[in-house]
Amino acid sequence: MMDVGRRSLANSQTALQTTAHNVANKSTEGYSRQRVDLVTNEPIGEGKIRIGMGARAGLVTRTNNEYLEKQIEREGNQLGFFNSRADMLGRVEQVYNEQTNEGLNHSIGKFFNSFRELSNNPESLATRTQVKESAAHLARDFQHVNGQLREIQNDADFRIATKIEEINQLTNEIANLNQKVQSVEVTGSPANDERDRRDLLVKQLSEKVNIRYGESKDGQLTITAGNTAVLVSGYSHRDLVAQSTPGSDGKGEGNYEIFYKSTDHSTPVNVTKQLRGGEIGGLLQVRDEVINQFSQSMDEVAFAIAQDVNMAHSQGFDRYGRTGVLLFNAPESLNGAASQFSVNQAVLEDVGAIAAAGEPGKPGDNRIANILSSLQYKRAMGDGSSTYDDYYNSMVGRIGIESQRANSAQQSQGEIVGQLKNIRESISGVSLDEETTKMIEFQKSFDASARLVRTADEMMDTILALKRL
Amino acid sequence: MRIADKMQFDQVKGNIAKNRTQMSELQNQAATQKRVTKPSDDPLAASRVLSNRIDLQGNNQFGKSMTYARSFLEFTDQSLGELGDILMRAKELAVGQANDGTGNEHSRRVVATEMEQLYNQIVAIGNRKIGDRFIFGGFSTQASPFDQKGNYKGDAGEMMVHIDKDSFLPMNVPGGRVFLGKGVSTTGMVKTGPPQAKTIEEFQQQQLRLQPQPQQGPPPPEQAVAVRGPASLMSPTALTNSVEPNPEEDNGVNLFHVVRDFMISLNTNDKEGIQNVLEPLDDALNQVVLTRSQVGSRSSALDSYLASVERQKVDNKVAISQLEDADIFSTVSDINKAESTLQATLETSGKMIQPSLLQFLR
Repeated sequence: MMDVGRRSLANSQTALQTTAHNVANKSTEGYSRQRVDLVTNEPIGEGKIRIGMGARAGLVTRTNNEYLEKQIEREGNQLGFFNSRADMLGRVEQVYNEQTNEGLNHSIGKFFNSFRELSNNPESLATRTQVKESAAHLARDFQHVNGQLREIQNDADFRIATKIEEINQLTNEIANLNQKVQSVEVTGSPANDERDRRDLLVKQLSEKVNIRYGESKDGQLTITAGNTAVLVSGYSHRDLVAQSTPGSDGKGEGNYEIFYKSTDHSTPVNVTKQLRGGEIGGLLQVRDEVINQFSQSMDEVAFAIAQDVNMAHSQGFDRYGRTGVLLFNAPESLNGAASQFSVNQAVLEDVGAIAAAGEPGKPGDNRIANILSSLQYKRAMGDGSSTYDDYYNSMVGRIGIESQRANSAQQSQGEIVGQLKNIRESISGVSLDEETTKMIEFQKSFDASARLVRTADEMMDTILALKRL
Repeated sequence: MRIADKMQFDQVKGNIAKNRTQMSELQNQAATQKRVTKPSDDPLAASRVLSNRIDLQGNNQFGKSMTYARSFLEFTDQSLGELGDILMRAKELAVGQANDGTGNEHSRRVVATEMEQLYNQIVAIGNRKIGDRFIFGGFSTQASPFDQKGNYKGDAGEMMVHIDKDSFLPMNVPGGRVFLGKGVSTTGMVKTGPPQAKTIEEFQQQQLRLQPQPQQGPPPPEQAVAVRGPASLMSPTALTNSVEPNPEEDNGVNLFHVVRDFMISLNTNDKEGIQNVLEPLDDALNQVVLTRSQVGSRSSALDSYLASVERQKVDNKVAISQLEDADIFSTVSDINKAESTLQATLETSGKMIQPSLLQFLR
């Protein structure tokens, strides 16, 4: 009897200990509440009488739904993708945001207006200076927009590199946990805390990049990023490396790509194309697809304006009766036209070189200025379907729609993940009320067990006192 | 459902954040009075706002250009008016001196001196300037278009003003036309120049049509630059000819010749000569009046264009405002709604977090 009491005391203590562990980890991310499984001891008895031998603590288990964890991991991957995509698109959008400040749309208008002013008074140096200034302003704006797009791409590179670092740390820790889980579970008891931690890390990893994973019979997690990059296998993990490379396939010169080495000595394999999900997937998509599309559109507008304006301008005659020079330095190719967009040095140095006249030596001739002024309303873009303004404005509409869609996807995905996490908490989370109740429960049973020991002791005393009587 | 503590806290956190975000968005709307502050707020509206803005910008400039053209035309009109007055006076004098009843050798000499004054005035009017631009020189605005003998040094260029997305209006009258009658048909109608080319291709075609025959001589070497189109084939002299209308159409009256003929007749006391000058003087007056009416109709066309541009500007502004401005009433009522929601969230959150079994176990 005393032994039953002693064991019961120990059981209560174990249970209280677990409760304390639960309370302490109430706010630990990824923690699953734990329970002590109490089982009755084998009774002893002779004949018909079997006497219960009390209880013993079986296993300490965690309350956890692994399918739910898997679902959270998958949706979290999507959320990571939408998060970084919406964030990046928001920045691209700011480049085109003319709601609050004047941008390229305004500069284009100003540029063509300056030719109208020139046409009113081609003799005046003031109107010529205005043309020069607005042309320079237009060039600056083209370069500015282009530069900002590049900057966002470079920033994406920086963030990708940081994420890769984080991934490597996560895989390192997961590989260590693999080892711990195995060494704990070989004794037969579940490695609750280690598994909680490992589940959490897998979820974090999945937010960053698309992964596939599976667990072996001895509890080892194998994780593959993309299709082929095995990041964790057993106790070992392999790093991903982000490296700047020469441009290819629409990817900007010098942007980062991600490489994987399967062994220390094998040649690094480019796995960038496989990484389509998670934050890295979102960053890569905006960097390589969206921004490049937009910067290509910018190039098209810049190229068309420079070409059309130059063509008309070089047919005219300047203030000194000379044939018109090129107003803008001719872009070498469509690619990069926006970044090369600049005003001819000859015009910058002498506004007299601006050609307004259709004949030499006619200071009042404004025919070329009028042609240039008409260019604004000419359907010069997209095979004659839109003017420069239309083309640019539709570009703004396009980024608006992209960004809007990304935002709403982010929001709804965030709600899905929130919901799932809520469900997870309702299963695995710690409730203080519950733990308090448990605490009282086990405290009471501790008290009772102690009383039991005392009763047994008193009974023993009674027995021993018999002899003296 | 089992409620874990973390769940409650997360929920409270999430709800408060949601309400606060909503509040801050609405507050931003109220503060900026704008519904659309970035393209993703309403992509369609954002892009339409931009096209309206650029239209507005263009219309502002068209308005400015037209105001300038208007002053140019008004000055031309005034000058033509004075020119008409002078010719009228000349006519009066001619009628007076055309018979021996009211005129004799002496009076004709006196009139001849007055006519000399008038002649000088005509030359002065021909050389009128607005700012530093000669208004009757065509495209040649920087040199006096007329010399004392009445030779025209200007050209037939018409300065077009961009007054609408695809319309142009000439703002000047080349002096050759009104003073020398170049490009005026037998009926006295004044021919206008070619329409403004809107593209460089149109311009090249116009130039091609006007291009002189090849026998006019080879182009000067400095003009034969490879980048130039067909226009490069024209020598400067050929060009000047090329914009001059065909000689067949030069059926107007040369004011200077008529006045000079009149003066010679006066000085030589040639009654017949004076009588012969009466009809040309009438024609000259007619030519000036016709031109002036043309200028007047351009002015009134400008006025109506100007009015329509002003209307369009208002339309643009209204459209922009409708697209991007916040409806302040609905914004304010939304704010009130969001505010009460936030309040409710905060109050209930406080109640939800507070009680725990622990508090009842003291």
